[in-house]
Amino acid sequence: MTAVLELRDVSKSFARRAGAQAALAAVRDVSMQIAAAEIVGLVGESGAGKSTLGRIALGLEQPEAGHVVFDGVHLAGLPSRELRRQRQRMHLIFQDPYDSLHPGMRIAEIVAEPLRIAGLPPAARVAPVSEALLEVDLTPPTRYLRRFPHELSGGQRQRVALARALIGQPRLVVADEPTSMLDVSLRVGILDLIARMRTRHGVAFLFITHDLAVARYVSDRIGVMRAGQLIALGPAEQIIAQPQHAYIRQLIAASQGIPPEAAALEHIKED
Amino acid sequence: MKQPLEVTQASYAQGEAVQPAHASRWRWRRPTVGILLGWLGATILLALLLVALGAPLIAPYDPQLPSGLPYAAPSAQHLLGTNDLGQDIFSELVYGARISLTIGMLAALFALVIGLIVALVAGYSGGTLDSVLMRVVDITLAFPFLPLVIVLAAFLGRGLFTTVIVIAAVIWARPARVLRSQVLKVRAFQHVRAAEAMGAATPYILARHVLPRLTPLCIAQFVRAATIAVLLEASLAFLGLNDPTLPSWGTMLFFANTHNAFLTSAWRWWILPPGLALTASVLGFAFLGYAIEEWADPRLKSAPGSAPTVRADSQSATDGARLEPAAADTVLAVRKLRVEYDTPDGVVRAVDGVSFDIQQGRVVGLVGESGCGKSTLTMALLRLLRRPGYLAGGSLLLNGRDMCRLSANEMIALRGRRISLIPQSAMNALNPSLTVHQQVAESAALTRSREQARARAHELLALVGIPDSRHAAYPHELSGGMRQRVVIAMAISNEPRLLIADEPLTGLDVLTQERILHLLLDLRARFGMAILLVSHDLPLVGRVVDDLLVMYAGRIVEAGRAREVLDAPRHPYTRALLEAFPSLLGPRRRLESIPGEPPDLLSPPAGCRFHPRCPRATAECLQIDPPLFDVGPGQQAACLLEQAR
Repeated sequence: MTAVLELRDVSKSFARRAGAQAALAAVRDVSMQIAAAEIVGLVGESGAGKSTLGRIALGLEQPEAGHVVFDGVHLAGLPSRELRRQRQRMHLIFQDPYDSLHPGMRIAEIVAEPLRIAGLPPAARVAPVSEALLEVDLTPPTRYLRRFPHELSGGQRQRVALARALIGQPRLVVADEPTSMLDVSLRVGILDLIARMRTRHGVAFLFITHDLAVARYVSDRIGVMRAGQLIALGPAEQIIAQPQHAYIRQLIAASQGIPPEAAALEHIKED
Repeated sequence: MKQPLEVTQASYAQGEAVQPAHASRWRWRRPTVGILLGWLGATILLALLLVALGAPLIAPYDPQLPSGLPYAAPSAQHLLGTNDLGQDIFSELVYGARISLTIGMLAALFALVIGLIVALVAGYSGGTLDSVLMRVVDITLAFPFLPLVIVLAAFLGRGLFTTVIVIAAVIWARPARVLRSQVLKVRAFQHVRAAEAMGAATPYILARHVLPRLTPLCIAQFVRAATIAVLLEASLAFLGLNDPTLPSWGTMLFFANTHNAFLTSAWRWWILPPGLALTASVLGFAFLGYAIEEWADPRLKSAPGSAPTVRADSQSATDGARLEPAAADTVLAVRKLRVEYDTPDGVVRAVDGVSFDIQQGRVVGLVGESGCGKSTLTMALLRLLRRPGYLAGGSLLLNGRDMCRLSANEMIALRGRRISLIPQSAMNALNPSLTVHQQVAESAALTRSREQARARAHELLALVGIPDSRHAAYPHELSGGMRQRVVIAMAISNEPRLLIADEPLTGLDVLTQERILHLLLDLRARFGMAILLVSHDLPLVGRVVDDLLVMYAGRIVEAGRAREVLDAPRHPYTRALLEAFPSLLGPRRRLESIPGEPPDLLSPPAGCRFHPRCPRATAECLQIDPPLFDVGPGQQAACLLEQAR
């Protein structure tokens, strides 16, 4: 198995600083590998460190300890120009499709952006943009090219974000809660697209979600994070059918509508 | 079907006849005061600019050369008389516009460029450089403008360009500070983060992603800086620190003053005109600035205190004629409720003839996709609609009393007491400067003395599961789940009969969602209040509520007891909603998403509004708009196919 991404004993903590932007949660000694064309679901509550791990995987945060190896290249210590070149082969998809697209750019420009950053001339960007839009079922592409993000619905915008992720033919996409702000009726469409991108283009995904059922639907393997640590990692079915950890059993119970028991109160004190 | 416009206009007239105060139908089209001032400002500036440009054509004489006797009073040859050297004051005034505006705008431009560069460097790089630059800004701001300008001007000497530099060097700090905070904000936008993640270099990100989003603010800051620059130039010139050969308005004032114009009647034509010209240009810039700021920040546009709008109360008598009497234990009876929005493209009927009852002590779930009208309905129930939305018809009976007929003050007396709302994302909107105990006490004080309210707040916080040690915490010190508990404590602080919770679980984790849900159920059991739980997550709320209302495109399409609706959903939309969720323990299978998107309510589809997305739609569905049919004991669905069954 050739790993697209390898995290080895990665740790990161954040000093709480007044006025610091969106505080990120800490990560402690996380190791995992993601193979080509594999979807790994990363589940946990907010503050568990999922998003931090995603940013570390993309080299957007430097871990204090441990190694991040992307496609055989150690990200630590890369000169920034080289790091930027590596990043062109990864992509990040966000939760909020309203915020992740520049409101003043047309859909064609937004989708073409990774190519533009990679230095492709304008003429060479046209065909891939239409292809990418077709790929995410925004058909016919000509209907969308000249539009602005605010003219599209939330589901359509998330498709645009997926098209943008796809166009640079990335090896790895980190998708941070890509469906949790979407309506239920639109979620499945996005999840199916992600599965299709993996099958057709061999893209590996780190799929971050707090919803175990969503993770199970789309992932090959599931990792569960709690308080910065990866407490379980295994095949999706196994993690859910034979939960090894009390916390996972609790997560499953919650999704089944079973009232949280006394343990819940303890947790309240914690947070 | 969309109502013909005549009908709505007729009803408007009717509504106006009854309650003219509420007839605010076309008000949104009227430009705001800010916009009107903006046009006024732009007109003034344009006029001054034309004068400046056309000075050689307008001015009768060369202002530098004597054209008459010294100290002449106004006459046909010299509209504003002459000065001590016999120069025409009117011509001086006209040419003065050139100097004053040039210096003002150039200085503002320089200040903006300096401020923008500082803001970008400080805001985007962050860290030590940011701290250092911002301290410099603080120091610059701390100096009083005028003395600083005077010192610099005296030091650097005279001349048009020197004046521009001196003024810019003093006023750049304010734009720098304002723009830097905007850079910080823009930097946190996800499209900026996305560009970073795509491997874009910093100059690219600044040029493509950050600068365009600063433009409106830059224009506003430029106008502001120009206002100050024009005044500073006048002050400098008045003090004689300018090049006295440049005929600016300030210079005119300087000479008028040194020649004792104040002591003679000459002040009327020597001092007043340049003074007024200065005032006009400053006002022009200021007015334009207000309008640009309003345009750049749309939040300023909606008047915060705008009255909740109710219109056409009289309609409920005509079209809600069949008012079914509500049962004795009905807390809220909604009948034929209609809410409309005026948009530039026409009237959007966001809630279209919705009727339902909420019984005492029941938990009712209201579910549907975003854009189906849930939140609008929720706000309408409390009569909290904001323009351009308004209540267009129907009635809202709270314990038999029609809330549509209550005055604004009577509504205020009900809200938070009899009927209480947990607004969407309220947990992110707590007052950051008050402790949670203070905030709960504040809402409890609606019906109590201060002292009782404080004691009650303590009990309430304990009731919603916040340990004593956290009562004195500020909102930012608490997790999302804890903040939602605080919001709930506030909402129930006066034992409402009906609690409306708009998406109280959105943005929370699975475990926390479950805890909040059970907290609401516990509180219901304790206080016996009814709860309307608004959510887009049917499986999540369906499990715990007593009754379900499924909303689609402004209508209730299925209603009934939760168990029946979940076990045997009769409307294809309800079925699709249930199908669309991945299950955790059931067989792992491909899910069917609902094709298409909810309709545009500006022109909803003819016939059944769901037919374009319905897998079973027949030719009839394209024609007939189905009402709610009884499809089982206590269960109703608006589907022609179900009626036939």
